[in-house]
Amino acid sequence: MRFSRKNLGIPYAVFLLLFVLMPLAVLFYYAFTNGSGQFTLMNFIGFFTNPNTLGTLVYSFAVAFVTTVVCVLLAYPLAYILASSKIRAKSAVVMLFVLPMWINFSLRITALKEVLIFIEGNLAMYPFTNTVIGMTYDFLPFMILPIYTSISRLDHSLLEAAQDLGANEREAFFKVTLPLSMPGVMSGVSMVFLPAMTNYVVLDMLYNSTYIMGSLIGSYFAAYYWHGGSMIALILLLIICIFTLLTDSDETGDVRGGTIL
Amino acid sequence: MRQKFYKAVLATGALGMMSLFSLILPGENSLAATGTSAEEVTQTASIPVSEAVTSSQAGSVMTSGADSGRDITLRICNWEEYMDEGGWDADETIDLPSGDIIGQNSMIEDFENWYKETYGVNVHVEYSTFGTNEDLYNMLTLGDTYDLICPSEYMFMKLISEDQVVPLSEHFFDASDPDNFYTRGVSPYLRRIFEEHTINGEPWSRYAAGYMWGVTGIVYNPELVTREQASTWNILKNPEFRKCVTIKDSVRDCYFAAVAALKGEELTSPSFREDPEYKKRLEQAVNDTSPEMIRKVQDWLQGMKDNVYSFEVDSGKADMVTGRVAANYQWSGDAVYTMDQAEADNYYLEFVEPEEASNIYFDGWIMLKRGIQGDPAKQQAAEAFINFVSRPDNAIRNMYYIGYTSFISGGEDPRIFEYLKWNYGADEDSKDTVDYDVSYFFTGNDDAVDPRYVLTVPEEQTRRQLGAQYPSTEDIRRTSIMQYFDDAQNQAINRMWVNVRCYNIRHLPWWGWCVIAAGLVGTIYAFVLKYRIRKKMEP
Repeated sequence: MRFSRKNLGIPYAVFLLLFVLMPLAVLFYYAFTNGSGQFTLMNFIGFFTNPNTLGTLVYSFAVAFVTTVVCVLLAYPLAYILASSKIRAKSAVVMLFVLPMWINFSLRITALKEVLIFIEGNLAMYPFTNTVIGMTYDFLPFMILPIYTSISRLDHSLLEAAQDLGANEREAFFKVTLPLSMPGVMSGVSMVFLPAMTNYVVLDMLYNSTYIMGSLIGSYFAAYYWHGGSMIALILLLIICIFTLLTDSDETGDVRGGTIL
Repeated sequence: MRQKFYKAVLATGALGMMSLFSLILPGENSLAATGTSAEEVTQTASIPVSEAVTSSQAGSVMTSGADSGRDITLRICNWEEYMDEGGWDADETIDLPSGDIIGQNSMIEDFENWYKETYGVNVHVEYSTFGTNEDLYNMLTLGDTYDLICPSEYMFMKLISEDQVVPLSEHFFDASDPDNFYTRGVSPYLRRIFEEHTINGEPWSRYAAGYMWGVTGIVYNPELVTREQASTWNILKNPEFRKCVTIKDSVRDCYFAAVAALKGEELTSPSFREDPEYKKRLEQAVNDTSPEMIRKVQDWLQGMKDNVYSFEVDSGKADMVTGRVAANYQWSGDAVYTMDQAEADNYYLEFVEPEEASNIYFDGWIMLKRGIQGDPAKQQAAEAFINFVSRPDNAIRNMYYIGYTSFISGGEDPRIFEYLKWNYGADEDSKDTVDYDVSYFFTGNDDAVDPRYVLTVPEEQTRRQLGAQYPSTEDIRRTSIMQYFDDAQNQAINRMWVNVRCYNIRHLPWWGWCVIAAGLVGTIYAFVLKYRIRKKMEP
């Protein structure tokens, strides 16, 4: 057999088939069937007509939304300062912010818990705030890195041109830097938003007794009801699809370097 | 446009992949898009025996090499941290009148050696663990194969009803065989429970051999909570302890507490208590799963949710010891552990079984059809394992190590009672002592006191570890088993549970609705805007 470049693609094709398409098929199958294997829409109807489960969607959305906003607000100035500063060991400083990611997650949250208890006393009094703090702490590096990458890759001559043409620093920032770094922000958002909707371990560890979407999946599985869990997963899938369609730009994504994470 | 479609497909695929993992991995760990949560969630961990061996003391004799017949591999799945792993210090020796007991090697290793000595056959144990009964069930559903597992009673009832379990052999019940430690030593009280309760018309005892048992109750800090306040399940809703009490993140435990609290008046009334059919009526009352009851339980739990500190997964013990919570719903074995931990810091906690009723639970060994596959040698080894852990000295080792209460009362072997004395008995010169009767456990009769089985203990012990590990006769009478839920009940109760734990959209304030509306409008607007821009840019 003659070797052609196409053969290199075979492993990926197999991978796609085994780990993407088949699981998706399984997911769809479970989401649209009931316990005895018949087609049903009841899983979804049940979800969207129950004020409690619907409330969970809203609640997790709120958690994710606030977390993402806080992350952007924290990460953008930091990334901007880092990228435009003259520090020589810049990458070392960036590393410092990414470092927590390499430490075991449950250890970090346990440590955070102790700090929060020290500040607040009884954690159960502020469940929502604590959850947002926990999620932010957990996901912040995922926001910093793409923004930092996109700002530091910015073509500096564009800024000079803007200033030559009479823009002051503020205008240059809002008209040049900010729009050009948006792809970084967007990839950061996509890496923070969805996990924040589902990572219920943070909730459990910080004493929030209200379910988010991820806990719902867990709860259905604990009751051996795979159909319910798949249904939730599918709803999340839908959300990320909408999100991707929305944030995705047609301009070829060379500035989206942040996604290397 | 096409490119975009592919991107969407890819994103979808990535999420799909994660969802697959969440399907493959057992239990409640939805890895879907959480990714990092894996280490937190309980998972099965296969501990090869060789690893357990390293923790045992050096110089222990190991069987090596096969010299007779074929080797047997026994796959055992047990609760996490539910068996002695050996490696005790010399000062931990339990010096009973009938001889010293110390865990040098792990229980598994000792079993392998014992089996070789007794039956001349090499047996190799593959020991793994599970975190919750539901995890175990999901693992089995997904195709994991074990020979011997140790789930709680409701789970072995479910498995027996699904015809997955091999009945114990006749020989297992032959008390004349000196190596049948289970049949010779099991507590008559518990044996009766296992014989009287049936599933599909057959007694539990035909399939299951008990390992550990316990009751549910409240661990409380006597400095903050009076015993009276803790003696009712309503403490979980008591506003005096707002955000200072925890309950397990478990549907069954919450359901039991809610039913007992809701029926409190009936359950504590003298006419109900003195009914000759009390036990039977109690069991019916706490196993009420009528739709009306489920609805009431939902209301009760929703109220409780706002009052409790958390539905804890595993943090309850630590929070109790560090004093973050004043009271904690607990299984008696864990309660013993919690009280031990606190005592190490000179801090005393107490345990009480609420007045209404308490749930008695059992963890028992069952052999799975899919693992044993009709192999008599394997079944013999599995039954021998049950017998080995039921040998009184081994039962004591396990009890000492994990804090739960063994099924074994010892029969003619006096060591279990000696252990109780060794563990809880009062010093001869101490003043505040009381007599504590545990004869029900040793004789099976909870009406008559057998003077041989009365302990003299420090008064406070009745409220501490002893009271949790071996409840008093009076407390044990108020316990009831909890049946397993069939599929329909399971679904209804799970729906109730989801409703309790979710955020009810009706509680959303008006500004929340405004934000949602703004978000939706914004999303649609963004779509439209993008579409327009693209149209404009097209030549």
